Parts: sequence; C-alpha cells; structure tokens
Amino acid sequence: MCRIKIDGMDAEVKQDTYVLAAAGSLGIEIPTMCYLKSLDPFATCLLCVVKDRSTGRLFPSCSVHVSEGMDIITDDAEVREARKTALELLLSDHVGDCEAPCQISCPAHMDIPLMNRLLADGEINEALEVVRRDIALPSILGRICPAPCEGACRRKTIDQAVSICLLKRYAGDFGKEESHTATANPVEETTTTTKSEEIKSSGKKVALIGSGPAGLSASYYLQLRGIACEIFDAGDKPGGALRYKVPKEDLPEDVLQREINSILDTGVIIHSGQQVGKKEFEDIRKKFDAVIIATGDFSGAQEDWGVDYTAKGFTSAKKTYATNLPGVFVAGNAIRSQKMAVRASGQGKEAAFSVSQYLSGRTIQGEPRMFNSRFGKLMEEEFPYYLLESVPGNRLEPSGGNKSGFSKEELIAEATRCMHCDCRKIDNCKLRDLSDEYKAEQRHYWNPDRKPVSKSLQHELVVYEPRKCIKCSLCVRLAEKHNEKIGFTFIGRGFDVEIGAPFNEELRGALTVSAMEAAEACPTGALSLKEIRK
Amino acid sequence: MDITRGEIAEIVEGKGTAIPILQSIQEKYKYLPEEALRTASDISGISLSGLIGVASFYSQFRFSPVGEHIIKVCIGTACHVKGAERVYDSIRRLFKLSGQQQTDAAGKFTVEKIACLGCCTLAPVVQIDEVTYGHVDPAKVKEVIEDFDLHKNKKTVRTAVKGKIREAEGEIRIGLGSCCVASGSEDVQKALRQSIDENDLNVRLKHVGCVGMCHQVPLVEIVKDDKDPIIYSKVEAGSVKGIIEKHFNPPTLGKRIRQGFLNAIDTVQSDKDWEGIHRYSLNVRDEHVTSFLGRQVPIATADRGVLQPLDIEEYKSRGGFEALDKALKNMTAPQIIEEVRKSGIRGRGGAGFPTAVKWETVASMEEKKRYLICNGDEGDPGAFMDRMLLESYPYRIIEGMIIGAYAVGANEGLFYIRAEYPLAVQRVREALKICYEEGYLGENILGTGFSLDLHINEGAGAFVCGEETALINSVEGRRGFPRIRPPFPAEKGLHEKPTLVNNVETFAQISHIFRKGAESISKIGRGDSRGSKVFALAGKVKRGGLIEVPMGITVRDIVFNIGGGVAGDKQFKAVQIGGPSGGCIPASLIDTPVDYKSLLEVGAMMGSGGMVVLDETDCMVDIAKYFLAFTQNESCGKCTFCRVGTKRMLEILERLCNGTAKDNDLDELEKLAGWTKKGSLCGLGKTAPNPVLSTLKYFREEYEAHLNGSCPTGKCKDLISYTVNDNCIGCTICAQKCPVDAIAFTPHEKHNIDQEVCIKCDNCFQVCPSDAISVK
Repeated sequence: MCRIKIDGMDAEVKQDTYVLAAAGSLGIEIPTMCYLKSLDPFATCLLCVVKDRSTGRLFPSCSVHVSEGMDIITDDAEVREARKTALELLLSDHVGDCEAPCQISCPAHMDIPLMNRLLADGEINEALEVVRRDIALPSILGRICPAPCEGACRRKTIDQAVSICLLKRYAGDFGKEESHTATANPVEETTTTTKSEEIKSSGKKVALIGSGPAGLSASYYLQLRGIACEIFDAGDKPGGALRYKVPKEDLPEDVLQREINSILDTGVIIHSGQQVGKKEFEDIRKKFDAVIIATGDFSGAQEDWGVDYTAKGFTSAKKTYATNLPGVFVAGNAIRSQKMAVRASGQGKEAAFSVSQYLSGRTIQGEPRMFNSRFGKLMEEEFPYYLLESVPGNRLEPSGGNKSGFSKEELIAEATRCMHCDCRKIDNCKLRDLSDEYKAEQRHYWNPDRKPVSKSLQHELVVYEPRKCIKCSLCVRLAEKHNEKIGFTFIGRGFDVEIGAPFNEELRGALTVSAMEAAEACPTGALSLKEIRK
Repeated sequence: MDITRGEIAEIVEGKGTAIPILQSIQEKYKYLPEEALRTASDISGISLSGLIGVASFYSQFRFSPVGEHIIKVCIGTACHVKGAERVYDSIRRLFKLSGQQQTDAAGKFTVEKIACLGCCTLAPVVQIDEVTYGHVDPAKVKEVIEDFDLHKNKKTVRTAVKGKIREAEGEIRIGLGSCCVASGSEDVQKALRQSIDENDLNVRLKHVGCVGMCHQVPLVEIVKDDKDPIIYSKVEAGSVKGIIEKHFNPPTLGKRIRQGFLNAIDTVQSDKDWEGIHRYSLNVRDEHVTSFLGRQVPIATADRGVLQPLDIEEYKSRGGFEALDKALKNMTAPQIIEEVRKSGIRGRGGAGFPTAVKWETVASMEEKKRYLICNGDEGDPGAFMDRMLLESYPYRIIEGMIIGAYAVGANEGLFYIRAEYPLAVQRVREALKICYEEGYLGENILGTGFSLDLHINEGAGAFVCGEETALINSVEGRRGFPRIRPPFPAEKGLHEKPTLVNNVETFAQISHIFRKGAESISKIGRGDSRGSKVFALAGKVKRGGLIEVPMGITVRDIVFNIGGGVAGDKQFKAVQIGGPSGGCIPASLIDTPVDYKSLLEVGAMMGSGGMVVLDETDCMVDIAKYFLAFTQNESCGKCTFCRVGTKRMLEILERLCNGTAKDNDLDELEKLAGWTKKGSLCGLGKTAPNPVLSTLKYFREEYEAHLNGSCPTGKCKDLISYTVNDNCIGCTICAQKCPVDAIAFTPHEKHNIDQEVCIKCDNCFQVCPSDAISVK
C-alpha cells in the first residue's frame, strides 16, 4: 500500500494503482480521451496531466503508478492551461464540423440537418417538433426569412444550397404537434425540470412588451417552461412588424394568424391596443417578476423608461440580453433595427433562457452554446466524400413557383440533398465536451493549409473520418486486443502520422469484431456508429 | 516483379520480429513490395497492421521502387550550415525532379535526404550507393555524378591485411574510419598496397581506426626507425607512390628507376586544384597536429591512430582486457559498482545519469533474468562519436560491456547500432566473432563461470530510438514509441526484465577505470562532471574532428585551440552543443566550461556530444528552424505536445523565415515552446524546444528582424534577393552557372539578375571572381 495525497486529500492505495484511478477512488475526476478501462494506458492525448507538487512536473495520470508520499495536484491554473493547450493543439488538426455550418449561421440556431433528415424520411410531425425547439414561427419564417443558413450551406460550394427555408415552411404548414410540452429546448429541460415546476407553482409572471417575432417567440418558450406570460401590445391585433410591415402577398393573413394562435394556445395572454409609456412601464415592472422589451424599432418615446439606450436602441448584455434594470430584458429590433425576423425570433428564444435563469435565481447566461469545431470552405477533392450521403443534382424549385411551397414529393427530394455536415458524435464527443469545458480556441494554432477531409462509409456499422482523428489509438489497441487479422495501425510518424488500415484495405475488412467497440470508444467523431442522429 | 512464397519464407525463417524481416525484404527487393509484406505477414503471423505500423515508422524503409542508384544528400547540422539544401536542390534540378518525385525519368537515380551520414567534417556530404563525396559544391553536382558514373564499376574491395613474416622496416598507418573511407582512403590503401608489393618492400601496412583529425583525411602516417611519425594529410591515391618511395628504399636501383620514382616525388608537395571535387584532394603536411591532439585526454579514444580496430592481439598488448581480467577474477559485483561510483562517471549519452546508480539499480532487482544494451543509435544530425568509437575501438566497448554485465548480473546483451553505420556494424560483428573465439564471450568467460552472449540489433532510422525506452520497443520489434518512466529500464526494460542501457561512450570508458584506477577518471573534470567527454567538432571550424577533452574545458579552448578557430577568418558567432536537444552558446559566453551543469545553465545540454561551430554568416532563426524541422520529423507522433506542438512551432519559424510572421508570433513561439517542454512525454519532446529557446534568449534581435521582414545574415531565401553590384567585370561566369538563366549572357557588360526568374540558389555568389554579387 502507498500513502498519497491528491488535491490535499489523503488516501491509501495499492502499489500498482495508476494515479488516475487513485484520484477516481477519491471522487476526483480527471479528464481523459485516450484512456479506456479495458485497455492498458497508452498516454497519447495528455489531457489527464496532473502535477507533482514537490517537483512541479506535469505527467499523464493514466500511465503513472502511485508511489509512497506522492502529492498530486489535479486541477490548478497550470494544469488547466496545459489541458487547454493540449486541446487547442488537437483541435488545430481536427478537421470537422460539430454542428453543421447552416445551424451555426442560423440566428435562431435551428438544428437544420436533423430537420432535413426527418423530412427526407417523410416524418413531418417529428421535423416540426425539431424546428419548434428553436423557431416558434416556422410557417411565417418559412415565407419571409432571408435564410442566412442557405448562404452557409456546404452544398452551395458544390452546386446550390439546400432549400432549407422552404423545407422548414413545409414542416410548419403541414406538421402537427402532439403536445407543446415536449418541444421545449432539451438542453435546458433535462437539467431544470424540477426548477420549472417550482417557478410554476410560485406563480411567477413575465410581461412582454410587443407582439412581433421577438415577443411572440419569447412568450412561447417561457410559457412552455411553465412561466405565465402576458403580452402588452400597441396594435389592435398581435403580430407587430409581421402584421404591419411585411407585405401581405409575402405573408398571407391566415398563415400569420394561425401561427400566432398556436402560440396563444399555450396560454399566453395578450393585451392588444395597450400603449406603454413611462408610467405603464413602471406599473408593469411592479406587477410582473420580469419584463422583456420586444417593442420593435426603438423610438424617442421610450427614452424615459430608465433603461440604458443609444441612438440604435436599448443597450443589453451580449448573449443574455439583460439591461441595466434587474429583471428587464430586451430582444429583437428594440436592440437594433434589422430586417430579419429570424434574428428577432432567435433573440426572443434566448431572452427566454435568461429570464428563466433569472427567475430561478441561477446565473444568467442566456442560451447555453456548446463549443463548435469548424473548418473553412470545402475543397474540390472533398466533394465526392460529402456527396456520399446525399444525391446529385441542383436544388429543386417548387413546381407551383416559390410562393406555393414544396409538394411532398418535392420536399423529400430536396431534403435528401442535405449532406449531413453535422457530426455523428455531436452529443457524445469527448473532444467537444472538454473543449467546451476548458474554453479551448480552435483557431489558436490553426493552419489554413489543412489536410483534405475524407469519409469512409462502406462499413455496415461504422463510419471513419480520418481528419477528425486525434491519434488517441484506442481503435488500434482494440483491434489488437481482438486479434483483427488486418486491423488498424499507426502509419508513418510525427505530425503526419495517420491511423488507418494498411495498404488502404477496406474498412469493412480491417475492423470486424472490434468495429462497434472502437466506434463507441472513439473520443471524437473519427470513428462513429453509422446510424445517424434522428 | 516475381515474388515467390519460397523467397519470403526464407527471409522470415528464424526472424522473430518485424524489423529484421523488413530489412531483409528491403535488402532483396530494394523496397518493400506490398505482395512481399502480405506474404510475410501470412507466414510470420505478424498482422499486416503490425508490419505496416513498424515499416512506416522507420525512415530506412521504402514503399515504392527506387532507381538503380541512390543518392543520399546528408542534411546533418554541419552539412546544413554548409549549404546542404542547395546541394539537394541542385541535384534535383539536375535530374529535373518536381513535386514529390524522387527518381529521375530514366529510373537511374533516386535522390533523398538523410538525417546524418556522420561525416560532418567533410560537409556538405553526398553519398551515392557506397561512394561518399565530401565538400560538394552545389555548382559542381554534375561533375560529382559524372565521377560516380566513371568509377561505379571499379568497386573497391576491402581486403584483409596480412602482416609480413619477416621483420618490418617500418609501418604505414592508414585511417579507415568512415570519414577516411568517405574521403577516399580505400583507394589510397589500395595504392599503398600496390606500391608496397611492386617495390617488394618489407613494410607493415596497418589499418587504424579514426585518428580524430577528420578535417585532414585521408591520413597516412609513416612510422620508421623509432623516429617521430610523419603524417601526410588529405592524401590522394595518385600520390601514394611518391610518399612511399620517399621513405622506403626499394631494393634495387634499377627497380627504382623502373618505378619512375623521380617523377613521382614532385607531385607530393604540390597542391592541385580539383575543380571542386574533393574526392582526392591533396594538401601539404599538416602543421597543427600538436595543438589539435595536445589538449585532449584520450580515454575512450586511447591509442588512437595506433590501434588496428580488429587486431585483438594488439589491443591486448596495449592493456586490453586487463581490466576485464581484474574485475572478473578479483572483484565482486558490488566492488565493481563501487569503483565505478568512485570514478564519478555519468552517462555519456547526454542526460548524464550517474552510471553507478544505474548499475546498482539493475543489480538490486529481484528478477534474475537481466539484459544489457549498448546504445549506439546515435541520431543527432551533427554527431559521430558513437560511430567512430564503434568503428575504431570495438574491443574496448565490448570489454566495458562484459564488466557491466558481470556487475549487474546480465547474461545476455546487445548492441543497438544505426543501420546508417554499416562499417560500425561490420566491425562490431567481426569483433564479437573474435571475442567468442578468444573466450571473452560465451560460456564461462576466462574460466570464471560467468557467461555472456552479445549480438547486434540494427536500428532502422528513427532518432527517437536513442531514447532508451523507445530503443527497447524497437528491439522488441515494435514502433519506437517511448514508454513512460517509471518504471525505468533498469527496473523493467527489455521483455519486462531489468535492463542496463548505457551509451557506447560510457562503455568505452569503463575499462580505463579498472586498469588505471577510479582516480584516473575522478581527478579529471569539474564539479560533478568527472572524466573526459568525446565530442564531434564540426561546422565552421578550421580543424574539425573527433575530440576527447577533459570535462570543464572551456568552449573557447575547444573552438580556438583545438579547432584552430573559425574557418575563413569569419567572426565566431556561436557553438551549437547537443544537437536537437541542445542549444546555442553565443560568443559572449565562450568561456563557459563544458560540463553537464554549466551547459544546462546556459540553456544547452551535453546531449550526444555534437558540437557545431557557427560563424557570422549563420542565421540563428534558420538554425532553430533546422532543428525543429528535424525533431518534428523525428517525433514518434504519440503524444499531443510533441506531435502537434513541434509542428506548430515549426510553422511559426517558417513564417519568420519567409516573411509572413504575425506580430504575436514570437510570444506564441515562446509559449508553445514552454508547453512542449513541460507537456511532452519523453526526452525528445521535452528537449525539442531547446534550440528555439536558447536562440530566442541570446539572439532575440535576429528574431525581431525576421518579424520585420529581414534576415540579417542573408540566409533566409524568401527575405533576400541577389543583385549585381559595380564590381562586376562582365566575365559571364555567373551567367554560365545560373541554372535557370536568370542572368543574360552579356560579355564585358555589367550583368543583371532577373528577380522574377532567380531561385536564389547562390551559384552566382559562389562563382563570382570579383565579389560583384550582393545578397540583401
């Protein structure tokens, strides 16, 4: 037995214990990527570095045994910086997208590839559910959105962007929702279900000033969290700019009304024809637990509300949309005039996050956003690999003209053009999770002369994308353990080392019995299960 | 190509691990054909992944067919500072190679770079098959190839030298170390033999190992009548006859005349210009022998220039194996270790770990099966000590190994020698055979009951295998990935057994301790660095070579007294010590004593013992980039900090050298260097940033100049341009030598260089007779 100290805690552990395991026995979790309990440690990723207090040396805890009197620090500024640097070095050679570029460029951050997959399979209701996690007004935005997502669509580099906006419109127009409660953002809900209930029972109320895309959207997402919302709106009918500024031929009245109704159906109360001046604003603040200003373009009449402003609009904190007044938030054109309903709508959703956090007494951070790995434009040699999961051909135009939207056949054909640029491992990637935790910056050591991306899809169970590989070697070691006849190996050395099958052997023959285990063990999206997220 | 299963089965037969199998396949087919590997995998049971993993790790192995002849351009440090890149570019231009292409269209020549041929004093060096060319001028590569074509069929054959039975009148010694051989000593040796035979002289012709004066090779030493020996340097085959006939009288006058003696004698003293091909250059006698040798302390290199490397009787007559006899017969293992401790000797491989402590650890292990390894994987691209020691003193090393094995209780051991050192492998193999015959190896050594088996493992080209744990993986037939220490090899090494790994030089110094006493070592030195250290002195120094100096000697003493100062009367700028793991010591610290501690304090390292002198024309950013490119290429690729960190550091250095650096690049470089040092797993990664950190420390202003787009020494191609100044006499030599016709042929007019076309090959600057080419 050895007496050791980890982060100031005393422990007595067996001689042959690795420091990582010893820390684990004390409940101290050390991050790892290349470590797997069933294999001997190999120390490639160096994420598990810890510090020897007496020498100040860093070493990988996965591979070093405890020794008598050892005194280990697992988490100080230097150790964290070392891990962050290791992550940034790995990320500089990790060519792959976590979320697809379309989703990242969508102001409402909608999960577009997932919607496309569901639509391609004809699962319209499920697709709508996905859309409404981020976009409360799909039919409306499906008609008037300038679609920045399509500008970012990787398919655009090859031929033409996928017609995302019209696809979403179809989901909005023809999808039916089972119930509203299931559609709130999963990231938030999984962690805060009980808190939401508390808020509901405590009877907290939020006032929204304005019923344009920002106000409608914010109220929708708050209401779904069980927070009672009341909208104060100057117009005689709700809709704000959507009703009064967008031409009717672009956005027919019935579409507008139907979608507004679907929001009001969640329990949102609307007070139409209510002008809000200084006095009313103060009254509202007294009566409600929080306020979201969603009044559209800033006007001089609002200057005396006591909320900080500039000539452009109300001043608010980035990401949280909090103003200088506690409990007062702002969203949409009230911050800055823009002709982009999707941005207003997205901000409304994000402000709802902040309000919900504010009301439950948590730190206000706005909508949580994960780290995203990204790379530049596609190169020509990469086109064939991206088309592997798609179909050739230009973008479809609706046969009845753009205003008519897609028929179901057209919808499926167009949705099938999506190349699924989002990563298969998006929800269980250690590299992404740790990069998020350590706030790693991918661009820090990035070299624009990147190696070209490729994908191998011929295996029935797994997909291999070598450019995402961080050379942890788990797959090599698992193949070895399972005595694969061909197996995976390191090829070459140094920075140019690759992991793959010898002599370009087919993936299918190289990884047989070990394939599933290797894909599950892979700490990033290099080897993933073929089945795609739906 | 027809590859039969039978052929492969024959190759695989009796070979347990991947490396020897791959080496034999490559020897047979000149590369590794896919079919051969698949068959070998099938027969040997080693998975295809296993074979490819190993084959792709070591730079010795090729996966595509090569030309009839292989041209290896050495890019070791000494060659680098003397323009190896230009030589390489020039050869590629000659064969019109583009992109990744390595073999010329005719399939006759394959051109490749090689980390170091260990002929640093002849830099820049090019090896074509087995012929080595030294001092290769980029403008003269065509002549070199022509010379090769002319001589390739007249392969020299190494013949054993038989001593004459009657009493010799004298002795002629000729160095046959690699440097000597590379500079043509085999031809000289043949001419000597021929001359002796023709004249029927009663003279003993003796092959000796490295003399150390590699800057003057080939060397011929005449020893006669107890007079002071006379040394001829840079001897050429054609002048041998003259030398012999000057010193030894042929039996009859008639014969003398027939030999044309009178003609020959004149050429000996003349200095002929060989148009840049220094394969057989000729110089007058060297006068600096005393200052070169006088300050040295030969311990590992004792009797240099005297010992015939494989003559075991001679080795014995000079005290060889006395130490072994004493240790094995009169001392217990603990007594031996105690004696080693008293000597104060530390590992000569670079890190300087106390030798006795290592021995004691192995000896104290419970496990009784133990191994011993002599580390001769000298990968530092500016060092050749191990090669010289192995080639010249194989018995001394073996003796040290036997004593070590006895002390730690190992009955099995091996030499790990780079495959790039064929002569060393050959000599050691021969020496081992003789030792077995003489009873120094095998069962019951010297009747003491102690048994030891030694064999050779050839490395396959991977710098990291000099790291002891990577070396062990390599011996076990795997990729040379380092292992995490602890456990140290002394506890758990080869095949998980306690293993003593010592450097060649360490073993070479062991016998001295027992023959002359521990004090003979401990009395020399400074601080806790005791004894002597062998260095390979090369670069911009007048007299380069292999030197063995007392620890604590100053850099100044080495460079200026032993090395004779900087060549070409240039200003001394720095000396790079320790190669890719070491650092640069600037002129201002020239009085730094050379010992483990002092070197570390100034940011360098004893390292392997490479010492490359740099002058005012050397760019320090370029030097840092050179070493980073080396370590980056040699990184095993296992751990993040080394694999990616060295690459990103190299990219910053490349940006500095091509004028695209960003403002914060110096800070980023320093930071990344710090993390790579801290975070890397093994010695390679931990020390890789040293060349960067030490040059940043002492030459920061040079880095800043690069940041601002200029290279003060004019070395960085992208930051300079070549122009013609008013000294031009219109001789057209530059126009004739320009490989890309950037200079118009305008006799008697001032020439002009077309900047759009110029590739900055430096040819014009080199050939201009009137200093009319400006580089800015």
